[in-house]
Amino acid sequence: MADHRRTLTLTAVLSALIVVSTVAAPMVSARPAHEIPVSEVSTADLAEPNADGWAEVPASDVPLSSAPSSVPNADDTSVEAVDVQAARTDERLYVRLEWHDATRDRNASATREFADAVAVQFPANTSSRPPIAMGGPDNRVNVWYWSGSTGTQELLAGGAGSTTPFENPTVRTNASYTGTGGNATWAVVYSRQLDAPSENRTDLRTDGDLDVAFAVWNGSNGERSGQKAVSEWHYYPFSGGPQGPPYETLLWTLAGIAIVAVVGVTSFGIYRTRGAE
Amino acid sequence: MSTDQQDEQGEEDTLVNVADGVDHQVAMVMDLNKCIGCQTCTIACKNLWTEDGGSEYMYWNNVETKPGEGYPRGWEDSGGGWESGEHSDRSPGEIPDEEDYGRAWEFNHEEIMYEGSDEPLRPRDGAEWGPNWDEDQGAGEYPNSYYFYLPRICNHCTHPSCVEACPRSALYKRQEDGIVLVDQDRCRGYRYCVEGCPYKKVYYNTVSKKSEKCIFCYPRIEGEGPEGETFAPACAEECPPQLRLVGFLDDEEGPIHKLVNEYEVALPLHPEFRTQPNVYYIPPFAPGQHTEDGETVDIDRIPRQYLRNLFGDSVDEALDTIDAHRQRVRQGGESELMELLQDKNPAKQYRLEVFDDE
Repeated sequence: MADHRRTLTLTAVLSALIVVSTVAAPMVSARPAHEIPVSEVSTADLAEPNADGWAEVPASDVPLSSAPSSVPNADDTSVEAVDVQAARTDERLYVRLEWHDATRDRNASATREFADAVAVQFPANTSSRPPIAMGGPDNRVNVWYWSGSTGTQELLAGGAGSTTPFENPTVRTNASYTGTGGNATWAVVYSRQLDAPSENRTDLRTDGDLDVAFAVWNGSNGERSGQKAVSEWHYYPFSGGPQGPPYETLLWTLAGIAIVAVVGVTSFGIYRTRGAE
Repeated sequence: MSTDQQDEQGEEDTLVNVADGVDHQVAMVMDLNKCIGCQTCTIACKNLWTEDGGSEYMYWNNVETKPGEGYPRGWEDSGGGWESGEHSDRSPGEIPDEEDYGRAWEFNHEEIMYEGSDEPLRPRDGAEWGPNWDEDQGAGEYPNSYYFYLPRICNHCTHPSCVEACPRSALYKRQEDGIVLVDQDRCRGYRYCVEGCPYKKVYYNTVSKKSEKCIFCYPRIEGEGPEGETFAPACAEECPPQLRLVGFLDDEEGPIHKLVNEYEVALPLHPEFRTQPNVYYIPPFAPGQHTEDGETVDIDRIPRQYLRNLFGDSVDEALDTIDAHRQRVRQGGESELMELLQDKNPAKQYRLEVFDDE
C-alpha cells in the first residue's frame, strides 16, 4: 500500500509540474511577433547605454531589411537586426537600440564620408498607423534621429522627402560604441517625456498600443537617406492585457491538459493493475 | 515661355526651349579664344562666396587646362546626367574625394616669417595634386603641342540631374530665371546632387554638412548691392579679357540668343550628358600645325575629334561658320557674328534687365 501511495504522490507532483510548465511557458514566449515589451520601472538608471538598469529590461531582436526607396543603391544595406529594449517611468519613455557595426563612423567631414545613424519612428497621432515609409501627408510620423556626426534631431515627416526637424528637440540621447571588429556594437539610448511637448509630437502617455519602427544606417557603406535598413511596424503594448492572436497560449493549454490526462489515465491504469494483483 | 506655349494669335511665343515652369532662362556664353587662364574669375568668385570654413576646397568657378584632368580630377568620367533624351533615367555618378578636388596645402610661412628659416616658400608636404595642377601641360608633340583654357561654372541646366537626384527637393530651378539653387534649410547633406551632376559643380560643405553651388550671383543680378544696381556675375565682370556674355537665352534681341540659336556657334559642354546646359562656349581656334622647319600647314593643331568629344559633333559646323565670317570680314565684308564676338559688341555684353518690366 505504501508503494501505491508513493506512486500516487509522485504522479500528482509530476502532473502539477507539467501543468505549471505548460501554462507558464506560453506566458513568457507567447508574445506576438511585433510586440516589444516595455518594462515599467519606478526609478530610472537608464540614461546611459551601459547603465545597470538595462540589465533588467527584456530585449527584442528586431529584423531589418533594405527600405524600398528610389535613391541609388537602396538595396545595399548592411545591418540585419537591431536589439530593442524599452522602459517607462511615470515621466519618461526610454528606448535602447543596439546593433552590430564593425566600423565606428562618427564623421561626415570629408566629401565621401557618411556617419552611422539610427532612428525610431512613431505615429505623430497615435490613433492610426501611418504608412511605414516616413508616414503620409495626412498621417505624419515623429522620428527620433541620432547620427554620429550631427547628434540628435527630432523630426516630423509626412511622406518620403518631407522630413523636417523640430527647432527645439526634446529627445535626449546617449550613445556608446564598444568592442572591435565583428563584435563591435553601437548602443544608443533615447528618452523623452511621456507628455507630448508640443503639437505634432507623439503623446507617449497613450493608453492604446504605441506603433514604433526602427531604422539603421551604416555610414561606411555610404548609407544615408532612403538607403537604410528598416523594420516593419512593431508596437509597445501600452494598452495592457494580452495582445494579438492568442494561438500559442491556446495550443499550449490544450497540450497541457492532454498531457495531464494521459499521465492521469496511465497512472490510474497502473494503480488498478497493481491493486488487482 | 516654352516652345509649346502659344500666344493669343496661336503663334509660338519663342523658339527658345526653356524648362517647364521657368519664365526665362539665364545664360552665359564664354569665348574660349579670349581666355588667358589668369584665374581672375576664380578668385572673384572665391572671395565672394567660398571663403568660409568647409568651403576651402570649393571653386564654384574654376579654369582648367584642356586637354587635362580638370577639377575635380577626372570629372568627365565621374558619371551623372541622363541616360537618354527623355530625361527619365539618371546615371547616378560618383562623389569625388578630397584628393581629386585638391586639398588646400599648408605652407612654411611660420618658419620663414617668424623662425628665420632660409628655406624657399613651399608647401609643407602632400602637394601632389591641386585644382590647377596640370596647367598648360596640354597634349601634342613639339612643335605641335596644344592646349586651351576652359572656365567652368554651374551650367544652370534646363534638365538639371542634380535637382532630380535630390530625394528631398532641396535643389530647385527657380521660376523667374532658371537659376539652380540649393535650399540650405531643406538640404540634409546626402550628396546625391554631388554625384548626380555630371559636371561636378555641386559641392559638399564639410562644416555645414550641406551642399552648395554657383548661384549665378543672383543677388548681383537682382541689384541687391549697396547701390541697388544690377551687376552681372562677378566671374564675368571681373574677367580681364571680358570673354563672357551674360543674359537670357530667351531674349531674342540679345547676343546670346543669336550666338546659340541663330548662328549656332556657341555650344554646350558635353551635350551627351543631356542636361542641356545654359553655359555655352565659342570653341577654340588654334593656328595650323607647323612643320619642323617652322612652316604652317593646313592641319588642325587641336585635333577636331578632341573638340567633338568636348562640344559634340556640332563643333564642326560652328567652326566652319566662324571661319566663313572671318573670311568675309577679311575681304572687306560685314558680319554681325564677328561684331558680336568683338569686345565692343552692339548688342550689349550684359543684358540682365530686359524682362524687368514683366
